[in-house]
Amino acid sequence: MSQNEFEEEEFTTTFSGHTLRRMMGLTLPHWPWLLGFMALITVVALQDGVFNFLKKQMIDLGITPRDTTALTGVMVVYGGMILLQSLGVFGFIYFAGMLGERIQYDLRRQMFNHLQELSFSYFDRTPIGWIMSRVTSDSGRIADLITWGLLDVTWATMSILTALAFMFYINGPLGALVGLIIPVLVFVAAQFQQRIFGEYRSVRKMNSKITGAYNENITGVRVVKALNREDANLAEFGGLTGEMYRASFRAAWLSALFLPVVQFISALALTSVAWYGGSQVSVGTMTVGDLQAFIGYIAFMFWPVQDLARVYAELQHALASAERTFSLIDAKPEVVNLPNALDPGTLRGEIEYNRVDFYYQDGKPVLSDFSLKVQPGETIALVGPTGGGKSTIVNLLCRFYEPKRGVIRIGGRDYTELTLNAIQSRIGVVLQTPHLFSGPIRENIRYGRLNATDDEVVEAAQVAGAHDFIVTLDKGYDADVGEGGNLLSTGQKQLISLARAVLAQPEILIMDEATSSVDTVTESLIQRGMERLMAGRTSFVIAHRLSTIRRASRIVVIEKGGISESGTHAELLRQRGHYYQLYTKQFRHKLEKEYGLSQLVGAAQT
Amino acid sequence: MTTLTPFDFQHARSKNRLSGLWHLLAGFRPRYAGAIASLAVSTGAKTATFFLIRYLVDDVLHQPDLARRLPWIALGFIGLALVEGMCAFLSGRLAAQTAESIALRLRNYLFDHIQRLSFAYHDRMPTGDLIQRATSDVDAVRRFFAEHAIGVGRIALLFIVNWIALWNLNGQLALASVVVVPIILVMSLFFFKRVSKVYEHYQEQDAKLSTTLQENLSGVRVVKAFARQIYEKDKFERDNVEKFRRGKSFLLLHSFFWPVADVLCGAQMLAGFTLGAVMVMNNAITMGDYVAYLGVVMQLIWPMRELGRYIVQASTGLVSYGRLAEIAREAREPLEEGARPALATNRVRGEIEFKGVGFEYEAESRVLKDITFTARPGEVIALLGPTGSGKTSLVNLLPRFYGYTAGSITLDGLELKDYPRHYLRQHIGIVEQEPFLFSRTLRENITYGLGRAVSDEDVEAAARAAAIHDVILSFPEGYNTLVGEKGITLSGGQKQRVAIARTLLKDPRILILDDSTSAVDTETEAAIRDALETLMRGRTTFVIAHRIQSVMTADLILVLETEHIAQRGTHAQLIEQDGLYRRIYDLQARIEDEVEQEVGGAEANDETLPESYEARETEETLRVLKTLRV
Repeated sequence: MSQNEFEEEEFTTTFSGHTLRRMMGLTLPHWPWLLGFMALITVVALQDGVFNFLKKQMIDLGITPRDTTALTGVMVVYGGMILLQSLGVFGFIYFAGMLGERIQYDLRRQMFNHLQELSFSYFDRTPIGWIMSRVTSDSGRIADLITWGLLDVTWATMSILTALAFMFYINGPLGALVGLIIPVLVFVAAQFQQRIFGEYRSVRKMNSKITGAYNENITGVRVVKALNREDANLAEFGGLTGEMYRASFRAAWLSALFLPVVQFISALALTSVAWYGGSQVSVGTMTVGDLQAFIGYIAFMFWPVQDLARVYAELQHALASAERTFSLIDAKPEVVNLPNALDPGTLRGEIEYNRVDFYYQDGKPVLSDFSLKVQPGETIALVGPTGGGKSTIVNLLCRFYEPKRGVIRIGGRDYTELTLNAIQSRIGVVLQTPHLFSGPIRENIRYGRLNATDDEVVEAAQVAGAHDFIVTLDKGYDADVGEGGNLLSTGQKQLISLARAVLAQPEILIMDEATSSVDTVTESLIQRGMERLMAGRTSFVIAHRLSTIRRASRIVVIEKGGISESGTHAELLRQRGHYYQLYTKQFRHKLEKEYGLSQLVGAAQT
Repeated sequence: MTTLTPFDFQHARSKNRLSGLWHLLAGFRPRYAGAIASLAVSTGAKTATFFLIRYLVDDVLHQPDLARRLPWIALGFIGLALVEGMCAFLSGRLAAQTAESIALRLRNYLFDHIQRLSFAYHDRMPTGDLIQRATSDVDAVRRFFAEHAIGVGRIALLFIVNWIALWNLNGQLALASVVVVPIILVMSLFFFKRVSKVYEHYQEQDAKLSTTLQENLSGVRVVKAFARQIYEKDKFERDNVEKFRRGKSFLLLHSFFWPVADVLCGAQMLAGFTLGAVMVMNNAITMGDYVAYLGVVMQLIWPMRELGRYIVQASTGLVSYGRLAEIAREAREPLEEGARPALATNRVRGEIEFKGVGFEYEAESRVLKDITFTARPGEVIALLGPTGSGKTSLVNLLPRFYGYTAGSITLDGLELKDYPRHYLRQHIGIVEQEPFLFSRTLRENITYGLGRAVSDEDVEAAARAAAIHDVILSFPEGYNTLVGEKGITLSGGQKQRVAIARTLLKDPRILILDDSTSAVDTETEAAIRDALETLMRGRTTFVIAHRIQSVMTADLILVLETEHIAQRGTHAQLIEQDGLYRRIYDLQARIEDEVEQEVGGAEANDETLPESYEARETEETLRVLKTLRV
């Protein structure tokens, strides 16, 4: 997939009837609301036409013949219509608004639920920000178009039709004349709106560039100052703001021009009415009230025309939103249960990677011809440089991805014959950067087993070594961890994610050890928690801590997508290969920390 | 684009925020006044149209010379429409020009101002907050001028012009037609205030929903690993329903306000129509008056409903102005200020002398005291000491990132404070441990801040000397490869070498190095070491060191301990003294011994794990745990 696919504000060039139909289809489950507001807005539009007609009647039936009774009659009707219309206004705002909220709700729900089913590969190639925009802003834009947009179109169409009908009723030829002007108005208005929309698009683009420039200049202020780059930066920035100025000024004056142009065209209509109508009045074929009504209708016509043009411009934007949203909903998960997938009841047994190939992108192999057999209860330490393929090995075991070639067997069975749930519910994963969810600590631990009692949660925390620090917190287990756990230290987060895994009682354990340093006490706690968790379980550890590595039943050095060394600690040290180097360096680092040398020389915390 | 008058926010600072906004208008006041005047003319033309209709009805329609006069009436309509339209356009254009220019000026000013504020300010101000102000608050000020102030003005003008017109038609009618206006005004103010509160409430839930989504997406590994899809769906569902609920109450508010306002306006008009009709029948006004009245009163009543919105929104512009003024209030770092501009022509030798230098960060928190030493041109001064001992603070004084608060520092015999900051920074090169690179190409990063054109050959030569040339060529786009989010991610060591190349091109007399290579592998370490040695040749160098190896060849080693220099000398001298330096040296030696032992010991014995180490570790853990419980 090209990067451009995820650029915001991208517009479809072709008008897609299919997308439009599908978008409208979203209203189907809520058809009563749709019907409700369409009916009400139609009534309101009709009434708008009637009001003008009533004013004419006021003059022609009441004032001109000086008939007080007739005038009172018209006024009573007028008053009644005002009350009636206010009910209509209440109704259509409520109905259309509710429909909009419902559709947004539906879309968000549908997208979120679908996201839960999608495979890892989707998240690898789709930026989180892109997904977020679909769920948060596109859903709103789509709902706006099929509620308020549709409402405006209905109102505008009905208003124009009603006005035309009344005009024809009052005076046919004059009505026809005004009818000819309307398409011209709509066309001109649409041209304007499209251009204005285009300018606003550049304004938004420039705005994000400007924000980016601020961000970079503020975070890099030390370098800017050290290199005396202030003037050059300001000049560059001036280029951005200059462009922003041009785009937004253009958008603004186009908007300012739009109204007068449309109004002027209406004025031409008004003039012809005054001219032609005036002579009709003098010969008696038209009344003063008729003339007044025409003037009223033409002056009013401007609003529906403007609405039509605006919706037209928004339509393209909304169609682009809808296309992106539907592309998310239509994305197919790549890892799925096979038709006859079964749950063997346990994952205990030998795990075997047999000649596995894997790549994320074509032509960039990550694992090639990788084979490894692991006996039940073994602890495998995976070590080696970043990017060597360690994470991929465990990701494949979790079946976040499936091998491109070769097979992975669990208990002698190709694991694609098992259900995803059978595998994932029995594998415990402890990540390098522990991910917590905002909410209390208790709930974060309970994430491991949802039906665990409070006592079991505490027990798990004790086993993991998290209990001691939790009880020192003000609210204990009810303390909020903050967004992504940011109210806790890294070490604390690690302890909680350990407790979470303890509670899950997995049969196979996968641990990605943290490289970030924590204080010695916490480190010891984490160490002990890990040991307890691994006891008796088949474990894969992407290891950084020396004690973990040394305790492993087998150390596997992964480099460039394959196994470069494998054996016990002592065996590997004797080989004087990569493991030897790695270990020496790590050991030195550990001692430096332990003896406080790192502190004495103010070494950066890595 | 309009030429901009030089703009300084300092002149636009005011305690009263409204007068502050008035100051922001400087240079654009005639234009903005023009916008309002055009608006008034446009409104007047519109109202005049109704009077033309009155004339048509009263004096033309039933007259014998109708045919002759009708074309003139028609022309009149066109003329008025032209005036109305052109003035409306002019007003919109002038207002947009004013608002956009003010925004442009503000953006440029803030950008420059922020990059010239002191480090002390940047240290305490979160980046997000600054960006928020520089973007959202500037936009709020822009909208104040472009929409809100003009909106209030437009409605006020509509009211005034049309009311005067009504008064001309008939005083009694004019008075009777505005009875409901104060009620609508109050109601609309109250309503829009409430709306902005309810909307905030709705937005809060929106933010919460986004957080839930964001956490789900970034934690997708956890969700899948624990097979918690259903749980996640339920959680999202709760937030989603809540957003729906809040959306509904926002909606209800609107669906009640508008009909009520409509009924009020409608009742007012009905009353006016009736009164007018009665007056026509009593011959108090003419039919033409009445037809004109029908048009004018609409212009007056309906817009009133919106006034509350503009007033409430305009108040956010005031708040934003206040937040911008807060940034403007901070004093800039004067870059060119200094008594020795003539120095720029002389060559810096690079002799630096500290005499009893002290430094307090903010007030009361002392970081350095009584620092005295001399660095002769070309010497290497190494700084060693624990975290927080003041090593970084000491070197930060040289480019005058911070000002020393006691004693004196001289460069080539002249007081540092007499040198302009710009001049100093031009002659000091800094290579940090993990330098900040910009989202530009590698070439641009290397030539960043040089202030002169550099040939490709020079750039490549510098990159070669910094041992980064080959790495750069390994990228598909070579020197044109973008760094950062939209490009490639460089490792810490690679970034450092880019910074070395940059500094080589800059060719400063004085160098500040943060020498930490702990995060990189052995191969890279050697490459960086070579590159650093090339760089240090012939320059007065300050090295913030983290190991004995990198200070052994230094001409002077300063061992810092809590704010002061605890030991000084060369490696050979310090190694003979009791003190921190020897402790570090001994520790390092001991560690090397133990590493040797550990590796050798494990080699010797196949079966047993190194007992001693394991046992000690567990013991220590338990001991620490016990002390914790106490």
